[in-house]
Amino acid sequence: MRIALAGNPNSGKTTLFNAITGKVEHVGNWPGVTVEKKEGDVKQNLNPRKENLVVVDLPGAYSMSPYTSEESITKDFVQNENPDVIINIVDATNLSRSLFFTTQLLELGIPVVVALNKSDLTEAKGIAINIPTLSDILKCPVIATVATKSANNGLLELMNAAIIVGKSQKKQTAPFAGGAKKASKEGFEKADKKRYAFVNDVVAEVEKRKISSEKQTLQDKVDRIIAHKWLGIPIFAAIIYLVFSISQAWVGPPLADIFVGWIDLFNETVGSLLGEDVNPVIGALLLDGIIGGVGAVIGFLPLIMVLFFCLALLEDCGYMARVAVVMDRFFKKVGLSGRSIIPMIVGTGCGIPGVMATRTIKNERQRRTMAMLTTFMPCGAKLPIIALFAGVFFGENSWVGTSMYFLGIFVIIIGALIIRQITGDFSRSYFIMELPEYRFPSIKRAAVSMLMRAKAFIIKAGTIILVSNAVVHILQTFDWQFQVVAETAPETSILASIATPLAVLFIPLGFGLWQFAAAAVTGFIAKENVVGTLAVCFGITNFIDVEELALVGSGSEVSAVFGIGAVAALAYLVFNLFTPPCFAAIGAMNSELESRKWLTGAIAFQLGMGYVLAFLVYQIGTLVSTGSLGQGFIGGLIAVAIMVGFVVYLMKKGSKNKQIFAEMQAVKL
Amino acid sequence: MMSLANGKLNTPYTVNRVNTEQEDIREFLFTLGCYPGEKVTIISKLASNYIVSIKDARYSIDEDLAKAIICSNH
Repeated sequence: MRIALAGNPNSGKTTLFNAITGKVEHVGNWPGVTVEKKEGDVKQNLNPRKENLVVVDLPGAYSMSPYTSEESITKDFVQNENPDVIINIVDATNLSRSLFFTTQLLELGIPVVVALNKSDLTEAKGIAINIPTLSDILKCPVIATVATKSANNGLLELMNAAIIVGKSQKKQTAPFAGGAKKASKEGFEKADKKRYAFVNDVVAEVEKRKISSEKQTLQDKVDRIIAHKWLGIPIFAAIIYLVFSISQAWVGPPLADIFVGWIDLFNETVGSLLGEDVNPVIGALLLDGIIGGVGAVIGFLPLIMVLFFCLALLEDCGYMARVAVVMDRFFKKVGLSGRSIIPMIVGTGCGIPGVMATRTIKNERQRRTMAMLTTFMPCGAKLPIIALFAGVFFGENSWVGTSMYFLGIFVIIIGALIIRQITGDFSRSYFIMELPEYRFPSIKRAAVSMLMRAKAFIIKAGTIILVSNAVVHILQTFDWQFQVVAETAPETSILASIATPLAVLFIPLGFGLWQFAAAAVTGFIAKENVVGTLAVCFGITNFIDVEELALVGSGSEVSAVFGIGAVAALAYLVFNLFTPPCFAAIGAMNSELESRKWLTGAIAFQLGMGYVLAFLVYQIGTLVSTGSLGQGFIGGLIAVAIMVGFVVYLMKKGSKNKQIFAEMQAVKL
Repeated sequence: MMSLANGKLNTPYTVNRVNTEQEDIREFLFTLGCYPGEKVTIISKLASNYIVSIKDARYSIDEDLAKAIICSNH
């Protein structure tokens, strides 16, 4: 039996799905978290008779007439894929809107069970719902549920009801027959008006509200401060700074120190087990290449876990939707809207769902712009790079992470401005977004989200990153004649000879060393590889404990290990954050952009952006700190001038299109 | 008849029409319960956005959309 979960955005479908199936799909307290359908089997304890029950979680929809593309996924599924039962999740605090969709679902001829979710919130709001009457009127079972609770949550009753209606031979009759297909549009509108009138009557009969919902609440007061015109941005910055302080300075590093101690112990144990007899090449591959490289990446796990824990708390409390309100004003100036912040927030976890979240954007140019630019937000995989450079060169300062976050937002705004000019599409679109209620974030949900991220990170480290590090180590160990490279001549290795020509290009950016070039390239496979490759190439196994680095580089000459200074390190960090993302994310961009031309443009734009930003950081930084320009300034300037010139040319060409667009608009009017 | 953008806080207005060429936003507002004859209340004006109460939910809408919603004071 296939059971579809359908309902309004942010009514708790995915929370319910996770509770029924035991899966841990991403949930968040804002509308539009789920953008694709997900399947899962019902947990044993909710399925005592061990039936074959598959549950399908669908993106939220307000009605059967979809507004954005993820809403059409839901409509298409319930209309065309014939699920056996639909569980319609209804937000108990918002019956008057939710039942509109309910009446439409009841007309499909598929058995429906209504889950009256968030039932725990009604009492505090002075809402009383007469469930038996509601069930009588709708002619379908209505079950009160609280998906966030682990017991007494109504889920067993819900599943039983779903099984009964799924097996029943008796068809449900729709309480309101609007007729799905009306010949004229006017007829359709009229029918929908009657539908809403019907819903209003139902609500009047079953719901009693002590407090009218348009009265000001404490939540509204909080909104006035948090989404304030001028206070909104500093509050957002302070919160992000706090998140980075907790994860990268206060809680993260002490945990990482302990953790790295274990990795070192493991490395030593394996080393002593191998003994002296083992082939030195194989021994080095295992100890320095695989364990060392993977260990260097894994060492950052505690920092990443703490960061994700904090971000999950933020997502859960309802704050993120307010950020969209605050940012709307700025995004509007470059042809985007506050909606664009949603992919960016999702993208701070991983770029792939971030790019997919662009489906919630209605306008095509805006959607493609965000699919191109979302990966400029530092994702979880880029975090070890940030943590490494912040730790080694800037004394674990929290401003490094915070500024990279805001630099990401800034680069996206600049990028959107350029893309709007190039496309010549200056159309404006309306911004509307439901504001979820604030709630106390759940420690448990945040912990679960954190553990899932950690699991994914460990799996990646044990597979892609392990293989990459092994390959890097082998390429570094041998020369083209497959002879082991002498320790005094590392530049003769295969890796060095491949990476050196590339490194020349990076001289104007301050890091024209083959090790850095090689690390940047392996970063396209997975961004964590940047750290792993640097570890393998420089023979360092521990990046957390800076004192260990000091042993290699002696005292304050930490930078001597890398052979670059703090300014060049910052440039390298910027380069890695703002070049194209990993191949997997590029694949996601490909499927969302649906255009070779846009994808090519996107990759070229990202390469150019990374190069130009790193050039600016290195050259300006060097000028400020030493009074003279950095290496390779002239060559870099020429390269940057060509790139900027080309973009300006495209923008000029695009503004001609602007007139064409304007004429098209005029014709429409 | 006035646009919601000129409306006062905490005053229920009745929607008369949604004045836009973009048919889909009109339909979308309809599904949220914002259509001729229904009530809408401005809760606050923040940044460049209006927080409005439609049915039993809060929405953030921008000034353009607030201007497009034509309403009257009963």
